[in-house]
Amino acid sequence: MRCGLRTSDSLNIRVRNFIRFISQFANLILFVVLEIFCAILIGRTRTIQGNDLVNSANAVSGFYYKRQNAIVHYFTLGKMNDSLLEENQRLHQELTNLQFTSDRRVDSSVMIPKGPPDSNRKIEYAHYIFRKARVINNSVSQTDNYLTLNRGSDDGIKKEMAVISGTGAVGKVVHVSKHFSTVLSLLSSLQEVSVHLKDGTTGIAKWRLEGSSPSPDILYMMDVPSQIPMRLGDTVWTTTYSFFPPEVMVGTIQNVLIVKKTGKRLLYLKPANNFRNMMYVYVTENTYETEQKTLEQQNTAEPVKPKKGGHKK
Amino acid sequence: MSLPLRNFLRFWLILAVQVLLNKITLRWWSEPSGFPVFIPLIYPLFILLLPFETPVWLLLIIGFITGLSVDSLMNTGGMHAAATVVIAYLRTNALNALLPRPLNEYPNQAPSVKNLGWVPFLTYAGFLILIHHLVYFSIELWSFSNPGMLVLKILASAFTSMLFVVAYLLLFTRQISARG
Repeated sequence: MRCGLRTSDSLNIRVRNFIRFISQFANLILFVVLEIFCAILIGRTRTIQGNDLVNSANAVSGFYYKRQNAIVHYFTLGKMNDSLLEENQRLHQELTNLQFTSDRRVDSSVMIPKGPPDSNRKIEYAHYIFRKARVINNSVSQTDNYLTLNRGSDDGIKKEMAVISGTGAVGKVVHVSKHFSTVLSLLSSLQEVSVHLKDGTTGIAKWRLEGSSPSPDILYMMDVPSQIPMRLGDTVWTTTYSFFPPEVMVGTIQNVLIVKKTGKRLLYLKPANNFRNMMYVYVTENTYETEQKTLEQQNTAEPVKPKKGGHKK
Repeated sequence: MSLPLRNFLRFWLILAVQVLLNKITLRWWSEPSGFPVFIPLIYPLFILLLPFETPVWLLLIIGFITGLSVDSLMNTGGMHAAATVVIAYLRTNALNALLPRPLNEYPNQAPSVKNLGWVPFLTYAGFLILIHHLVYFSIELWSFSNPGMLVLKILASAFTSMLFVVAYLLLFTRQISARG
């Protein structure tokens, strides 16, 4: 009993001491509390001071958020990639459509837009649809190289469609199954691309050349007149009459040789794509292609006959 | 007029004067280039003129409310409140140092020129207003990268504020003795 009394007494004294201590510093504590309150108020208003206060408070939690994000980031990469691809596809489509709304004339060095597009003279001779696809198989070392895509006829892919990547021209769809399609890449002797240089000179780019070993890092552009000005590093694009969409990058000039026999130049092109690690591509569809083809076939089916009457006179 | 009522009226009067002063930004009369723009702050005077026997906790709360009122008028968050709480905390110590007798021996009185005299009162007011401006402008500028500018701003603003304080004292102190 006595023992318990004594402890409660000493407890009372201690509590009293504590209360005295608190009352001694009550004003200081109130002062500090009010100042903290002021700091919070300053921080809540969006001023320089507030930003600084909030930022320093966020430095710690920011660190943890960053860590957490670094881990979770990996799991969302696939989704992010898909959304980026979809956006790319949309932007590509808008860009090509935009290029066709106004006709452009190449005048030796300058491109002059032929006035603003209006409803009366909207020149739209090609209209492209882009479909994204993933490369699931790829080769670069064969004589004719093919890519396999994870899209097929179910996704609207047909033969003869052009395939480009984010950086440049890739190839042409050759076989289509229900869920897959194969693409003959530019690294093949079976296809050539119509390309043009910076000043509009057109030519043909191909992969195989007689008497040289093919490498996935070189394309050749033959028979370029020697008076055409060019520099190493200049870009080479597809033309409007290649089966690719126009102005798709094919490569850059890596080296220039002069063929002594003909006096013309041979350009070594560095392909715009790295064909070794192709990941995502876009399959393009020209919606006016059949119309164009049928019209062009009439040229061979019904050649224009010269008028007899006119000649006799 | 009772002391609380007089202080209540003074609160509104000083706030009104402060609002008027907010409309004019002073460039220290002649406007030399590079001189900081500032506003004279007269509302600390309200804290300075509260009665002697006001306990410190009440001073702190009144100071906080005053500062918040000015903040809401000037859109400055809690900067004025922070500065005013500081001088409300220091007020009792400053008065204890300046007065010959302990504070509780002045019942029903407030600091004024009459019971302190001109020089001690101006010392008291000048010191606390300087502290107030020091805190306020340090928070407002939020950097010590240009200390000359800060000091110039504090001194010029404190001096101008003191001019307004003196004007207030001359206007509202009755029967100033000639010897001061």
